[in-house]
Amino acid sequence: MEPNRLDIFQVIADPSRRQILYLLSKDSSTINSLAENFDMSRPAVSKHIKVLYNAGFIAIQDIGRERHCILKQDGFKELHEWLEYFDAFWGSKLSKLEALLIEKNKSTKK
Amino acid sequence: MAKFIKHDFFYPNPPEEVWEYLTNPELMALWLMKSDFKPIVGHEFQFVTNPKAELLFDGIFRCKVLEVVPFKKLVYSWRFGEADGLLHDSVVNWTLSPKDDGTQLELIHNGFEKEAYALPMFASMETGWLKHITKILHLLNPVSDGTKPA
Repeated sequence: MEPNRLDIFQVIADPSRRQILYLLSKDSSTINSLAENFDMSRPAVSKHIKVLYNAGFIAIQDIGRERHCILKQDGFKELHEWLEYFDAFWGSKLSKLEALLIEKNKSTKK
Repeated sequence: MAKFIKHDFFYPNPPEEVWEYLTNPELMALWLMKSDFKPIVGHEFQFVTNPKAELLFDGIFRCKVLEVVPFKKLVYSWRFGEADGLLHDSVVNWTLSPKDDGTQLELIHNGFEKEAYALPMFASMETGWLKHITKILHLLNPVSDGTKPA
C-alpha cells in the first residue's frame, strides 16, 4: 500500500531529508553518491528520496544506469501558497477594517 | 532569514477605537471572522471561516492569546490545517501606535514552521515575495486615498 502523501511540513521536518535537499541545491546527484553522505543504508536513503519525490521536491532522471536526483520547485509551492493566501487574506481584512473605521470616524465627528 | 507577513495600516481613529475592533468579538466579526475571542492571556479561541480543500484547511484557526497590552499590543497563536491531518503553528502580532490624529496598526504574521525556513532554497523566494507585497499595497492604496464613493 502506498503511504499517505506527507504534508509539506512533515516532509521538511526530517533532518535527513533537509540534508538531501541541501545537497541537491548545490548540484544534482545520483542516489548512490547522495547515500555516501549518510550513515544510514542505501535503501533508507532511497526511502527519503521517494518521500521527497512524492512531495514534488525532486525529480528523478535515469541517465544510463544511474538514477539522478534534481531539485524541483514544486514542493515549495504549497508553503508559498499558504503565505500568499495569508498575505492576501490580511490585506483584504485590513482594508475592510479601514472602511469600517473611516465610517465610524465620520459619524463620531458629526 | 525567517519569512513572515507584514502589513502596515494607518487609521484615522484613536488607538482605543482600533483596539475595540481587534478585541471585541462582535466588532471583529464585522471585518475579520466570527470568534470566541477574549483579551485574556491564555484564553483559547477559534476563528471560523470557509474550509479550503486545496490548502488542506478545515476552516478553523485555532488560537491562544499570548500577550495583551491594552491599546498597544495583542499577540495570539494561530494554528491552521486539518484537525484529522496536520496543524501548523504560526503567530499573529498586532501593534498599535498613536500617530497624527490616528493609529498606525502593524500586523506581523510569523512563526511559520521554522525548520522549513532554514532551507537554503527559501532564500530564492524572497524577491518574488516582496514583489507580491508591493503589488498588494498598490491594489490597496486606491481604497485609502479617499476616491472611494462615500
